[in-house]
Amino acid sequence: MKWWLALGGWLVVGGGWLVFSDQAPEPRRPHFTDIASKSNFAYRTDNNFTGRKYFPQTMCGGVAALDFDNDGRMDLFFTNGAKLPEMQKTDARFYNCLLRNRGDGTFEDVTARAGLLGKDLGFSFGVAAGDYDNDGFEDLFVCNAGPNVLYHNNGDGTFTDVTERSGIGTKPKDVLSVAGAWFDYDNDGKLDLIVSNYTVWTPQTDKICAANGREFYCHPKVYTNVAHRLYHNLGNGRFEDVTDTSGFGKELGKGMGIAIADFNGDGYMDVFVANDTVRNFLFINQKNGTFKESGYEWGVAYDESGNAGSSMGADAKDYDNDGWPDIFYNNLKGQIWGLYRNMGGKYMNYASGFSHLSRLSVRSSGWSNGFVDYNNDGWKDVYSANGDIDDQGEISRQPDTMFENVDGKQFRDVSGLLGADFNRAGFQRGSAFADLNNDGFPDLVVTSLGEKPRILMNSADNGNHWLLVNTVGRRSNRDGIGAALKLTTAAGRTLYNHVTTSDGFMSSSDKRVHFGLGAETGIQSLEIRWPSGSVQTLKKVRADRILTVTEPAR
Amino acid sequence: MLLAHVLCAQEDAIRGYRQYLEAHPDSVEARSNLGAALARAGQYEEAIAEYDRALLKNPDNPVLLLNLGLAYYKTGRPAEAAARFERAAALAPQFKEQVVLLLSSCYNSLGKYKEAIALLAPLEKDKSDDQAFDYLYGTALIGDGQNARGAAIIDRILSRGESAEARLLQGTLKLGAHDYDGALAEIEKAIALNDRLPGAHARLGELSMAKGENDRARAAFGQELAMDPDEFVSNLNMGVLAKQDQDYAAARRYFDRALRARPNDAGVRYQMANVDLATGNADQARRALEALIGESPDFAEAHATLATVYYRMDRRSDGDRERALAQKLMDQRDAAEAGVKPR
Repeated sequence: MKWWLALGGWLVVGGGWLVFSDQAPEPRRPHFTDIASKSNFAYRTDNNFTGRKYFPQTMCGGVAALDFDNDGRMDLFFTNGAKLPEMQKTDARFYNCLLRNRGDGTFEDVTARAGLLGKDLGFSFGVAAGDYDNDGFEDLFVCNAGPNVLYHNNGDGTFTDVTERSGIGTKPKDVLSVAGAWFDYDNDGKLDLIVSNYTVWTPQTDKICAANGREFYCHPKVYTNVAHRLYHNLGNGRFEDVTDTSGFGKELGKGMGIAIADFNGDGYMDVFVANDTVRNFLFINQKNGTFKESGYEWGVAYDESGNAGSSMGADAKDYDNDGWPDIFYNNLKGQIWGLYRNMGGKYMNYASGFSHLSRLSVRSSGWSNGFVDYNNDGWKDVYSANGDIDDQGEISRQPDTMFENVDGKQFRDVSGLLGADFNRAGFQRGSAFADLNNDGFPDLVVTSLGEKPRILMNSADNGNHWLLVNTVGRRSNRDGIGAALKLTTAAGRTLYNHVTTSDGFMSSSDKRVHFGLGAETGIQSLEIRWPSGSVQTLKKVRADRILTVTEPAR
Repeated sequence: MLLAHVLCAQEDAIRGYRQYLEAHPDSVEARSNLGAALARAGQYEEAIAEYDRALLKNPDNPVLLLNLGLAYYKTGRPAEAAARFERAAALAPQFKEQVVLLLSSCYNSLGKYKEAIALLAPLEKDKSDDQAFDYLYGTALIGDGQNARGAAIIDRILSRGESAEARLLQGTLKLGAHDYDGALAEIEKAIALNDRLPGAHARLGELSMAKGENDRARAAFGQELAMDPDEFVSNLNMGVLAKQDQDYAAARRYFDRALRARPNDAGVRYQMANVDLATGNADQARRALEALIGESPDFAEAHATLATVYYRMDRRSDGDRERALAQKLMDQRDAAEAGVKPR
């Protein structure tokens, strides 16, 4: 007990009373600074809002953090909208954008050189980065209204559209795809792809919704539900659409964010899909090429009152360091963001209330989101990119939020302490976590409708320590996606995380696994359970570095 | 001074009737009068006890039933009040006109808007200049979703001058149409005109919740409950807010209170079942949900939660059945709701 607490919080000094706080001193916190203006690039998130409210305009600005040129620095890729109702990227303002990280705090627009402008694409939404052909270079999958596209990274700074020959372009006509996630569901060493679909939509079938002479974005219920799609990687750059045989085809939703994790600890990756105004799906891998939708069984289909909210972004990480990945999804203002605690791999308990997330989140409309230990204290915090769906409310433009994890139990809002750039209000949509300057503190990249993205650099100045693990699979997929990591610090604290690039909404993050270590600099052990089933343990690992771990050949 | 005089007179009357009843315990009239004196003195619970004792002797006495209904009405128990009013009117049709407003007020409190409309609609011509009638009728119409007819009643009230009741109805209409700014302006106007208008703070609380302003909602519901501890909407929503905070003991207290105002309300009982599930009482949740579904087979959320309860109890086939039912009902509802509305 601290001495002033023993005195009941009061201390007599001279003739007056001096009041001491009975709370622990505030920890030093990093803050975020937007460095986007230092770079010369034209990209702005352009949903072509000109007065007419087309349904997909609310969703624009996917972002991926990937090291496309293997120079050790995370680069950025952004998706963009299209001219409506033409649904074409008629001019440069709608092009997608690839920014190469120069390593000096600036980014170079290399989109045209890379062949990623996407001139022939329609309205683009999410992006997923992953090395599907295990050639050591990260590839890109882009979701669209209209055909989706798979870009193969040629390893020379250019990409090739391989959609047609890959077989990944198959989807029912006019299905609007929102997000993609790479994962190896059958542990055969090749990355498969799950795509969340929203509805069937074209500009010609777009519905007009208005009241009192004002148009508003239609309620999702005026559009039909559709199946999400699973593509099995056959090797040699070919994919097979296994939506129907895998069980994904049976469930119709309005897919938004996708979170990948092994929720029941059986060594096979499961899939959580956040659905907008439809119950959320949790596809549990049956280890035989099929999945069983188990949202009811696990208690994550609806919130605690049986409501299906407007679920947006999703992430699955272990926020309480108990060894089991939990789920976090956000939704719109007036609803409650969902936090579900994994109860030993059997089911999930709704934790939004006890964790204070219900009180903290109710005024925000969240889109992309995720667990991120922004301050390297070893507890994953929850971040959300916010902004209302429409422009008609009192607080349509909203700032992002960071709710800091207090000992793995509860969260508190520290958004206001993270700097003016973090708190800039807007219609934020996509976001990715990435350590852009390799200083061990996660940075943030956030898109906002009608604006240049923010590239928010973490000030990394609270003295906490860290480890960044870059997994390289050999028997497993080369990215190591799905590998489960358990880190034990010198003091015996145990931290968990796993490899995934899929988090939030329409976005794809740094694949390197991040651990904040707080004040500790020593790591007793780092255990990696690879998707192949092999378990690798490293002893006495030094902190504050990027550690590349290659899976043993046998 | 006058109040003290009246109270003294009531106390004298109560004393007198009690003395008389010691000698004549079977006198229904004296017990009825004692009940009336107690009610006039604000001692409603004692009055209810005396009326009940009198009714044991004369169960079909419409005057006793009417007075008992009034006492229940005064104590904010609309279900009990409505049952007595209905019976009194059935026994003595001459009381029908006397009880119609009271009974429709009870129906509105119970959310039985169709019943209130059935009572009030035939009287609309005769009561077209009756402010109380208009308020009750407007409340029932808007509660039943007959917004255009409700709006006409509001116009009629406002044509007679500014009115807190009309503003509250207007605010309710706008809240239902998701016009939150408009609803706030109307409700605030209603409160400015009459800070003690029943239901006004509760409506402000609902609006605040819809806007995600939960602290403001708590304050508004708290104000309503300070005036009427049994007010249904405030108790229900305070319970929901407490449940969101996982303060389950407080949630149960509020839900219990809400059930006093609307006994057997399916929504409240569903919330209670969710509290049972969240606190690990899966079997209790199962019983409650099975009962609810027995009474309301189309309650989709109850089927969905019951599916989860069954899965938790390892009753897989039951879970699968409930899940399929929930899905079917929700799909039907989605199809029916697929109209144009903002989110």
